[in-house]
Amino acid sequence: MKRRIVLLSIMTLLLFSLPAYAGPASDAVLASVNKGLEVLRDPKLKADSAKEIKKEKLRLIYNQLFDDVELSKRTLARNWNNLNIEQRKEFVVLFRQVLEKAYIDRILAYTDEKIVFEREVPVSATQAEVQTKVVTASKEIPITYRVLLKEGAWKVYDVVIENVSLVLNYRTQFNDILAKNTPEQLLEILRKKVKGQ
Amino acid sequence: MKALSFPALIIFFLLSGCAHGPDTAVSPAAPAAPPQTRQVTAVPDSAKIPPEPPVKSSATETDLYGDIQGPEVDYGNTEIPGKAGGETTGEIADPLEPFNRAMYQFNDRLYFWVLKPVAQGYGKVVPETARVSVSNFFTNAAFPIRFVNCLLQANFSGAAEELGRFTVNTLWGVGGLLDPASSKEINLTKQDEDFGQTLGTYGLGQGFFINWPLLGPSSPRDTVGMVGDLFLTPSTYFSPWYAVAGIRAYEKVNSTSLKIGDYESLKEAAIDPYVAVRDAYIQYRLKKVHRQGGLSPGEKPAAPLN
Repeated sequence: MKRRIVLLSIMTLLLFSLPAYAGPASDAVLASVNKGLEVLRDPKLKADSAKEIKKEKLRLIYNQLFDDVELSKRTLARNWNNLNIEQRKEFVVLFRQVLEKAYIDRILAYTDEKIVFEREVPVSATQAEVQTKVVTASKEIPITYRVLLKEGAWKVYDVVIENVSLVLNYRTQFNDILAKNTPEQLLEILRKKVKGQ
Repeated sequence: MKALSFPALIIFFLLSGCAHGPDTAVSPAAPAAPPQTRQVTAVPDSAKIPPEPPVKSSATETDLYGDIQGPEVDYGNTEIPGKAGGETTGEIADPLEPFNRAMYQFNDRLYFWVLKPVAQGYGKVVPETARVSVSNFFTNAAFPIRFVNCLLQANFSGAAEELGRFTVNTLWGVGGLLDPASSKEINLTKQDEDFGQTLGTYGLGQGFFINWPLLGPSSPRDTVGMVGDLFLTPSTYFSPWYAVAGIRAYEKVNSTSLKIGDYESLKEAAIDPYVAVRDAYIQYRLKKVHRQGGLSPGEKPAAPLN
């Protein structure tokens, strides 16, 4: 009897932590999102002084979930080949920093919004879309993660917020800049952006 | 009265704000991008495993950062799966760029100098729940736009859903202040359709980009759409004209008060904010045209994650 109760409680726990089996891509994304939420909700990290620790933990989660290089490649698209290897490496690092700078405050300001998993849409054997939404008091914001299967792991290469793809949005901007500037000038613009001007 | 209706229409038109503007909300779930000069992924790996010859790590490195080969050079349509041909990418012609950029500056200042302070002041006086109710009311009142455009797009189930929502929310939602139709029990989804999208489903492209003063991002097609939708907005038929203008301005202030910070973070994240806004608008409208209604049937939301 006792064993049954234990088993039952374990099963209920499992039920609550795994909200409906959704597919391998969703599992990977949701696991990371949940880890991120845990960091944000951690009462031990509430203090302002713990901000850097929080950021560091979130960076680790980001590394697990995102494919930086793929994201950069897709953002630059045909312009990627116009950069030399050194420039590409620097671009990947800078673009990461630009994104962190743009989003970290919004993420750290997280309070009690709910994140709801909607569905997983397979695109091909190695590509899928994981659709979620963030529910706040006044609105719902659809967020889709585009993921790619690489060496056995699902990695995010694009995030679509409110129907607007991050990769496409930056691609349009970089295309526009690279039509008038050299890759080196683009990197300089990004360096300045990261430094905060 | 007739003489008044034209200026009224103009003012109304001007005050209606960027009705289709994308909610560029940036969510807390968006990526946290870690910086720190973590140089090359391959290098620390090989450093950990000494016997590995360094040749291998440089091989993976060039692989990782190598050229994009073959048809993949332009990733193009892979970003929008299942939609081949027609307007698939977020690119749009922008022959009026100098004018549009000037208008972008104008709207940007208008937002920071007028609209935002007013909306913030209003937000301090009126609690959020009340502002959400006001927004619900205006959404409910704009029912004819969504209903008629569903019909024009031959989306009859969407039209039925809209009719159901309007009935439920008007009768049981205190004239539209509440939104019981969206509750889990009733679960009728808002069909965000407008005349610009209807024209889009008929095959009319955006054409080129126009950034209107006050109204914000648009295109010839969506401008025609906005004018068409005016005829389906109940407040258009109010008189005198300044009442219409006042209602429209109030609606704008109320909705702005609920999304302060969205435009700021979009601008902050952008390398070139004008291009970012233009692209966001085009992407947002394109998806809306391609996607009929809110959700297709059988796509009902699941339980919360946590």
